[in-house]
Amino acid sequence: MRLGFVVKPLVRPELKSHDSRRWQNHPHLSVSLAYLRDVFAYLGEAQISMYRMSSDLAPYVTHPEMPEFHGQVAECAAELAEIGRQARQLGLRLSFHPAQHVVLNSPDDALAGKSAGDLNTLAALLDGMELGPEAVVVTHLGGVYGDREAALARFATNFEHLAEITQRRLALEHDDTRFGVADIMWVHARTGIRLVFDNLHHRLYNPGDRTPREALAACLATWPAGVWPKVHFSSPRTEWLVETAGADEAPQVRRTRWAYHADYVNPFEFIDFLRMAQGLRAFDIMLEVRAKDLALQQLREDLSRFAPDLAETLMG
Amino acid sequence: MRDLSEQALSPVLVVVLNDPADLARAREQGWYRIPLDRAPRRIAAEYLAFYQTGAFPPGERWSVRWIASVRGYHIATRRELIPAEPDHPRADDRYYRVELGALEPLPHAIPSRWLRRITFIPTTLTRLLGAVEINDLWIKSTAQERLWAALKQADVEAERQYPLREDLPEYVADFALICRQGKVAVIVDDESREEDELREAPPPDYLLTAGDWIAMHVSCASLSADPGGWTARLIDLATALDGVLPVTGSPVR
Repeated sequence: MRLGFVVKPLVRPELKSHDSRRWQNHPHLSVSLAYLRDVFAYLGEAQISMYRMSSDLAPYVTHPEMPEFHGQVAECAAELAEIGRQARQLGLRLSFHPAQHVVLNSPDDALAGKSAGDLNTLAALLDGMELGPEAVVVTHLGGVYGDREAALARFATNFEHLAEITQRRLALEHDDTRFGVADIMWVHARTGIRLVFDNLHHRLYNPGDRTPREALAACLATWPAGVWPKVHFSSPRTEWLVETAGADEAPQVRRTRWAYHADYVNPFEFIDFLRMAQGLRAFDIMLEVRAKDLALQQLREDLSRFAPDLAETLMG
Repeated sequence: MRDLSEQALSPVLVVVLNDPADLARAREQGWYRIPLDRAPRRIAAEYLAFYQTGAFPPGERWSVRWIASVRGYHIATRRELIPAEPDHPRADDRYYRVELGALEPLPHAIPSRWLRRITFIPTTLTRLLGAVEINDLWIKSTAQERLWAALKQADVEAERQYPLREDLPEYVADFALICRQGKVAVIVDDESREEDELREAPPPDYLLTAGDWIAMHVSCASLSADPGGWTARLIDLATALDGVLPVTGSPVR
């Protein structure tokens, strides 16, 4: 089992995840890949073998009014191959998880088309890196738009219209308010798309009352034999959140939302989760917590202390 | 010159120019090369700054004077980069061709007080624009930064990241005092437990003794707690060694 973290290394804050310059300063995918190379060097030294890359590696690459940025993936064929070679050498499992503006099931054809374009680009990056089938682009179903069944069907239809390389790379995750595990299983039955289980989302939205083990097993079963599934894990944020008001107003304590991610992984929840999953197919875990690689290191230490038998199953 | 201070935290890589032709190439053709198989841990940056070695004419050498924005990193063989030298022994080696914007002069040159050799230095634009000399460019742990500030305040002319032996550049003293009657190497033993987690291992003792270094080992916690006290100890030691050598104008080897 591999543990991964998301985008920005906090142990090494000087490392950037991508070229974040504005268009006026000539950002480029090749610069992002150089940042990624430096991050990979850190991952190798820290023995971290799973990593979610920034979805903004290729800046402005699908911006409709900036055609000068559209050719970046093709321009970086050699650099993508090289970074992919480094990833394979390190045994790194890589992925993307594009932001909420990617909505494949939007009833707005333009937005759905733009989303498909963004997904195509991310899939092309993974293909350019010559990564195996474990490297996926994880997306959500999208919005309900007043008609759940139509929204589900629209995702399935738009999936079928995606480029073959994108279909091959895409994986689908349930969310915490709109579409649960049963919904993504419906889409899987029609498209064959692989499913990503998220422990917190399942706690927050589980209309079918599936046990976590049932829901996890169902998602794991959608991955082809020989390809390790992946799941997302996070703990809910329990701290109170104070909103700073204007100079003449008292600060307000905001009501919490359990969908907010905690800084660290609660090790006892994590251990319970792994014990619950024992006997199921093996999988990798992406940690979606705010302390990122700091949290990953902490979790390793926690597992060694509180569940050494589980710590032995960690890779890297 | 544009207002570079808008991008204060932008990463900068200080690279070494051993040949004036490389600076001319950066200026006229807009690129610099880094060999893939000998590249440092960090190469990515928004700017390259150029440290000009002794190969440059007097008045230009041993200093950083130019900066250029980075536009891209593309992989190419030496043969592709320099077609005029197709039979060079490294013609098939691969390089990052770092594509550059226009070279811009720094507001003031950043000299190496000791005219020393350096390797790549990852830093930030803030550091670069505020640097008085090369030693100001390194960004290390809070403990090291505190000692550096205390040494400067006390006018102690120390060197940072100083190679203990020229043929083993990975082994450095975190601080070095080159005195008339000896050399002092300050080694921060547990540096790896602070921000610079993955630093090279501290130099082995045999390197220190074989090079006639007087080693002073110190912990991050101790440095952070009492940078002034460590500075005083270093001043005492330097005094006992007849004081820090004045800058001679000759390259330090």
